[in-house]
Amino acid sequence: MNFLAASIESLGARFVGWFGVGYGLFAFAGRAALLLLDRSTWNRATYDVVIKQVYFTAVQILHVFLGYALVISWLLITIILSTAREFGLTEFATEMTIRVLVLELLPFLTALFIALRSGSAINTEVALMRVNNELDALAHCKVPPMQFEFLPRLIGGVISVVVLAALAGLLALLLAYLSIYGLTMAGFDAFTQTVAKIFDFRIVAGLVIKCALFGLAVTLIPVVSGLETPKKLFMVPVSVLRGMMRVFFAIVAIEVLSLALKYI
Amino acid sequence: MVAQDDGVARVALELPLRANLTAVDNIALIPLYQRHFDAAESTRQARAMLDALGYGDIAALRDPDMTPAQRFVTQLARALMLKRPRLIIDRPGAMLYDVPYPAFIAQLAARPEIDGTWEIYDFDWNLALYPQ
Amino acid sequence: MNTVKSNPFHFKVGLFVAFSLLLLGAFLVYLLHARGFFEDTYRLKLAAATADGVAPGVPLVFSGIEIGSVSALGLNDNGGIVINIELLERNAKWLKQSSTFTLDKPIVGGAKIRVDSPDLKANPLPDNSTMLLLTSDISKEIPVLVERVKAILANVEHLTRKDGEIVATLANVQTVTGRMTGEYGVLEGVLGSPEKAQALTDSLDKTRDLITRLDGLALKMDGMAAKTDTWLFAEDGMAAQTKASMIQVRAMLDDAQSSLKKADALMANAVEISSDVKEGTQDIARLRAEIDEAVRRANALVNEINKKWPFARDPEVKLP
Repeated sequence: MNFLAASIESLGARFVGWFGVGYGLFAFAGRAALLLLDRSTWNRATYDVVIKQVYFTAVQILHVFLGYALVISWLLITIILSTAREFGLTEFATEMTIRVLVLELLPFLTALFIALRSGSAINTEVALMRVNNELDALAHCKVPPMQFEFLPRLIGGVISVVVLAALAGLLALLLAYLSIYGLTMAGFDAFTQTVAKIFDFRIVAGLVIKCALFGLAVTLIPVVSGLETPKKLFMVPVSVLRGMMRVFFAIVAIEVLSLALKYI
Repeated sequence: MVAQDDGVARVALELPLRANLTAVDNIALIPLYQRHFDAAESTRQARAMLDALGYGDIAALRDPDMTPAQRFVTQLARALMLKRPRLIIDRPGAMLYDVPYPAFIAQLAARPEIDGTWEIYDFDWNLALYPQ
Repeated sequence: MNTVKSNPFHFKVGLFVAFSLLLLGAFLVYLLHARGFFEDTYRLKLAAATADGVAPGVPLVFSGIEIGSVSALGLNDNGGIVINIELLERNAKWLKQSSTFTLDKPIVGGAKIRVDSPDLKANPLPDNSTMLLLTSDISKEIPVLVERVKAILANVEHLTRKDGEIVATLANVQTVTGRMTGEYGVLEGVLGSPEKAQALTDSLDKTRDLITRLDGLALKMDGMAAKTDTWLFAEDGMAAQTKASMIQVRAMLDDAQSSLKKADALMANAVEISSDVKEGTQDIARLRAEIDEAVRRANALVNEINKKWPFARDPEVKLP
């Protein structure tokens, strides 16, 4: 009986814990969104930090990222095409390629990429800021860190994931066309028709929203996780690993939700 | 410890600079986000403050690149920028461990552009270091 | 200092953003073009007897390339299915007045509506026109039609067999004619004028003519029924029949059958009338009218079958 009660209690604690995390995330996102509406946020300094964030999150890794997207796309397109030929379903290969790569896989991989590279860095940095009292110093100076530290990171993350996923998607489209039709314009009409069929307004809007949510998840969760770090240096790695786990769960949850909305 | 209130600007070890911002950017945060000046004007004010203390050349340095004295000056400039009625230097010995700090602080305070009085909180066994 | 330091960031980020925006803008324009934002939508209605397998989104395929899709489907007042198809103006050029629309339900993959335009120089199909949707699985329909036609043929044969009424009548007429001096003999006498007698023999001639034509048709149909491969017909355009037109053909065949039966009965009557001429000028006039009617209907039937069966196409088919 004791065992049962203990299990239920631990379940309850876990649930409350997760609820608290979720609440913290949404409250933070809410505050960030409110600040977005504040005119004083939009000054040159915030803009500079956003630019810097976009640079570090997207521009700096552009060539690596595009190379990686190229390899993944090429591999998958080849697999899909050869399988389709084998089963005589070539006519569905284009649509399959676009749906799998451009709509699902590339945004997901982009989010993972940014999470691994920038999300972990953000988490560490915020955790260190907190442990080193830098946040306290800012509070003493009555300078809100949200505007020049956190909000630009969120904006930069959203912009980066959306743009990188879009670029990777365009690259995959180009690659798919070349793989299927070669270096001719012969298949352009058929390809255009397929593209037109897939990308209706709902799909495009859903794709952009999904990428934006990915971008938010890979920056917001690390920031909040970093802010929760206890003021002990050895807690920084713990904070980062927790934050990254949450990022991973969030990315998967967003992907599952988008798929459910699209196909169910 | 001195209570944190709006009337007091503190210079203390536990109120460090923002590590990935330069000295001038650290100081410029205050006019920028408290008084809503634009970025150029804020930077100009921060630079003027550093010049007033005689340390205009450290403007582009970040926290890890500074000597303790430079770091202290930047923190002091930030505290001055807050323009609060009282300015407290909390245990300067912890921050200024590479210079004879009472003389160093006195020299900074004596600069013509700087006004106001600074309060120094220090351990009483260091009292002998202060001339007055 | 600040601005100098962030210059490389600004430049690179600016380059990145400009490049990305350019690409995305180009893609957006391409997408809008692909989705026909810059051109009008061309609408087409397809009439079908059943909407089995058709749903919004089912593609309209020309030469293996999708050129449009089903936007909606509904019922008209007569219980027929009306399928609305939308396609882009630039794709509408493949639709001709001589085009046929066939519903394909392959074993693998979704249903699609295939357009065949054998003559690309034919007149273009106007916007909002209504066409018949044929179904390619005619294999189910052929035996039914053949049975129906066979029934008629049996009936007609019954009229024409060696000891049949028509032969008897004709023989009778001939004997009478032989006996009489006038060109149309007794008939002339009975009917009161050479024209009327001529009309009757003409009718009988027409009936015989019809019989031979129906015979020929039966041969064609038998030949087709022997070929069981459905798409073999489809490739020749031979089996391009819809359930709708099947129903129509069936109705007409029924009609013709009953007319011929009536004619059959009247023929039998005619034998008696011929042997008892005093009785009925009235009856003979009715007989002639009935035979004419039967011949007219049967002729129409043969024409219709010829038209709908592979040998000719008629875009102006009436709706079910």
